[in-house]
Amino acid sequence: MNRGQLQNSLAMTVTLIMGSMLFATLFLGYAVYRSSAVMWPPLGIQKVSLFLPLLSTLIILVSSWFMNQSKVKVESGDVGKALTANNMTLAFGMLFMIIQGYFWYHLKSTGIFLTTSGIFGSILYGFTWIHAFHVVFGLLALIYLRFALKQNGPQVLQVTVNVEKFWHFLGVVWLIMFITIFVL
Amino acid sequence: MGFLNLNVTASWWDLAKPPVDISTNGHLIDSLWNYTTMLCIFYFVLVCIGLFGFSFFYSQKRNKKPYYTYGNKKKHLLVTAVIGAAVFLTIDLNIARIANNDLLNQFWKWPDPKTEKVLRVEVMAQQWLWSFRYAGPDDLFGTADDVVTNNDLRVPTGTKILFHLTSKDVIHSFFVPNVRLKVDTIPGRVTRVWWEVKTPGVYDIACAEMCGTHHYLMKAKLTVYSEEDFKRWMTSSEKIALNTNDPSDANLAWGWKWEK
Amino acid sequence: MSGGYNEIHPEPTTFWSKYIISFDHKVIAKQFLWYGIFFLGLGGMMALLIRWTLAYPGVPVPVLGSLLFSESGGVVPPDTYSMLFTMHGTIMIFYAITPILIGAFGNYCIPLQIGARDMAFPMLNMLSFWFAFLSGVVLIISLCLPLGAAAGGWTSYPTLSTLIGSPGAGQTLWCVAIFLFGVSSTMGAVNYVTTVITLRAPGMGYFDMPLTIWGLWLTAILNAIFVPVLGAGVLLLILDRVMGTTFFLAGASATSGSGDPVLFQHVFWIFGHPEVYILILPAWGIVSDLLSFFSRKPAFGAKATALAMTAVSILSTLVYGHHMFTTQMSPLLTQSFMTLTMTISIPSAIFFANWLGTIWKGSIRFDSPMLFSLGVVFVFGLGGLTGLHLGTVTTDLYLHDTYFVVGHFHYTMAASVLLGGFAGIYFWFPKMFGKMMNETMAKIHFWGTMIPLNGIFFGMLMVGYGGMHRRIYNPFVYESLQRLIPINSMITTSAILMGAFQIVFVINFLWSLKSGAKAVNNPWNVGTLEWTIPSPPVHHNYDEIPVVKCGPHELGNPNLKNGRDFQYQTEELVEA
Repeated sequence: MNRGQLQNSLAMTVTLIMGSMLFATLFLGYAVYRSSAVMWPPLGIQKVSLFLPLLSTLIILVSSWFMNQSKVKVESGDVGKALTANNMTLAFGMLFMIIQGYFWYHLKSTGIFLTTSGIFGSILYGFTWIHAFHVVFGLLALIYLRFALKQNGPQVLQVTVNVEKFWHFLGVVWLIMFITIFVL
Repeated sequence: MGFLNLNVTASWWDLAKPPVDISTNGHLIDSLWNYTTMLCIFYFVLVCIGLFGFSFFYSQKRNKKPYYTYGNKKKHLLVTAVIGAAVFLTIDLNIARIANNDLLNQFWKWPDPKTEKVLRVEVMAQQWLWSFRYAGPDDLFGTADDVVTNNDLRVPTGTKILFHLTSKDVIHSFFVPNVRLKVDTIPGRVTRVWWEVKTPGVYDIACAEMCGTHHYLMKAKLTVYSEEDFKRWMTSSEKIALNTNDPSDANLAWGWKWEK
Repeated sequence: MSGGYNEIHPEPTTFWSKYIISFDHKVIAKQFLWYGIFFLGLGGMMALLIRWTLAYPGVPVPVLGSLLFSESGGVVPPDTYSMLFTMHGTIMIFYAITPILIGAFGNYCIPLQIGARDMAFPMLNMLSFWFAFLSGVVLIISLCLPLGAAAGGWTSYPTLSTLIGSPGAGQTLWCVAIFLFGVSSTMGAVNYVTTVITLRAPGMGYFDMPLTIWGLWLTAILNAIFVPVLGAGVLLLILDRVMGTTFFLAGASATSGSGDPVLFQHVFWIFGHPEVYILILPAWGIVSDLLSFFSRKPAFGAKATALAMTAVSILSTLVYGHHMFTTQMSPLLTQSFMTLTMTISIPSAIFFANWLGTIWKGSIRFDSPMLFSLGVVFVFGLGGLTGLHLGTVTTDLYLHDTYFVVGHFHYTMAASVLLGGFAGIYFWFPKMFGKMMNETMAKIHFWGTMIPLNGIFFGMLMVGYGGMHRRIYNPFVYESLQRLIPINSMITTSAILMGAFQIVFVINFLWSLKSGAKAVNNPWNVGTLEWTIPSPPVHHNYDEIPVVKCGPHELGNPNLKNGRDFQYQTEELVEA
């Protein structure tokens, strides 16, 4: 690894630590709310149907797989295939956002509202919003990677690896979120 | 204006003394404060001796040739380590131990109304008012015979008083300087504190947590009665409460079931 | 991400690219310095208004009163008072100390002292300043709102900081400003961490870095880890305020309740306690270096100092609960936090031993940077020791939220950091601007700061012990506090004096900038890398990347044959 690569990789590591701390704070909050709640979900609120969140999880897993494929293809020098895999990642990432949008719309129809459903609604909406906000940055990074792949400069592997790290990070956060606030 | 006041310097140390301690265990806090302060003064004097002494003796004028050392010789490290250890052993462990003992033996030893004589009071804080609730003749809270006062807490000497506190809107803090204790009142949860007082008189209760524009006006009066006086006041107040408490008055209905 | 390979960037030519959207770490450092000094002045004026109100409640503020508070006849109104202390805290911590100590010295010293041509990510560095600028603009806008700025204290505890307690847009803008500032800080942190790890000159091990760099580096690491925690906190607070969620609402006022206001306190102090060290670590580093430089001998136990700083950084993450003893956490947590807090005094004692060891048997030059550094040792001694009273649960139950706390944290965070910052400014001014500052004025400034400063903050300790609690508009509505009037007016008199002496600094700074004596390459005769190059340095700092052969504190070696009493880090170490 030359110095430039080391710098980029360090910067990405620090960025991921920062992201982890942000979401760790949210999950700490979740743990506090859950452990101090008398019953969960609170009285009068139905548990959310797992179908949409599960779909989101599958989609983000698939996108992560394609992301990994991009890196593998760049490593083996096949930038053309990497570009295809990148397109797939991007497509599935956008699909994830669409499903999220539908999920928020759907939540309303099941009677869980942002302002009147107490802390349960706050967590469902607030946490997924903050995650989705980060996914937007992830998508921007993917688009940036698309240009980098097209140019195929000397830094292309480094960029791919860093974007991959960030994308996997978003996937892992979603997975934790899925398990904690939807399944449990 | 400020300069004029400088001629009372002599009595400043007296001015800055904390208000008179009226509680049975406030002296624990005072004595720990004094103890910590003594140790602090001792170490600070050491620092000053080093700071001013070295500055004097090793100034460029008096000491032309500095002593070339990295301070990593065995004896240097030893001195540093001894200083670190000394501070930890003499101050930290001591005061932490004393504080811990005081907490376990006094401040966290919650009086049990079943086995000893305890006056229970519910406190509701709101912007910018303290409300106090006594259980009344039926010994239950949240009933029509409760004695409720605003900004006016009256307690007897010689009885442990157990407070359960909450807040209606923002966080406040129930601070009685003469008892040395404070505890936050937090919306949505009940905090508690207990103390016992020994000197009759009238004292201040303050809100110590920033709670809005009129935070500074959120003060209540604490009246400490002798036991007989308190009984007399309580009996008459209960009578008044029974006659005048209006069950439909929302401002009176804030009491909650006392839970341990 | 471009650059960062230590290549020479082309020198900017236009005014715009040279001074405004500059990628040069030296220019960004100066931008941060001006930014910080501006806000320092603003925060200081607010402090004077607060002090005036406390000493002379109901008396119109002289001069400024009729301008600012014409509706109330020149008297600071109670709601304005709340905004003043809220903004004073916010501005001093985030907009004055952070930019000066971390933004200015961090940007200036890190590349120069480790022998790099710039930061690893110059563009990120530029963005970091402009995010801070944007954040400052948002904060200033919030001061001009019809309902006023945030007024819930710099800690902005909910539920006071939710719509229940502060309906105006000021609190929302406060959150936004803090979030933007967090973005700026974390950008800086990414840059500092990466730069220190990757761009050290060849031969420079971690323990060959000046302790200033150690302080700044640890600060950056703490920033990277803990600023996002605050970010999450204010993000949830913004959601509560704008979108109507109930993360921090509870009790009767929250119609759909079951949020938790105390959670914010946890989140705030998980960030807030490391933040205290984020602010003080650069000052510690600067002081550790300067004491050695002006005693003309190596820093005593430099390695131990560096490791003690690291230990404090780690411990600082474990003790935050001592800010919350009065909220009645579980007894186990309370006891653990008390015990952990106590352990911080071990590394702190090691600092003091090493600082005093450094000046011991030195040959001390009392130049202004040295005076300020010695001042830091004095005030940090007082500040650190009074922390013991507050880390102990039982005494804290009395002292919490009184002026004792205010005195304590001003000694540690304000006085030490301010003096450390001044030490740094007097020390690096020649390198930054190529001019010397006036030494006589600097000394007047030192004594004019040091003496009233102790009057202010020791007075605060006294009234706090006397039972005066914080953030009250008029303490003397309590009859029992009326005896403290003389001490309070002494504090205010001291504050006005100290404020007045800062004018000496401003005059000295501006005058020296314009017509100070020209600075030579190495006016202080010290051996760290930045003094090997011209003052001010050229755009790319080093024509040739230096090779480091010895530590930063090689002073007073009796075997030196080069006619100097110090050697540069680029010179082969002379055996003693």
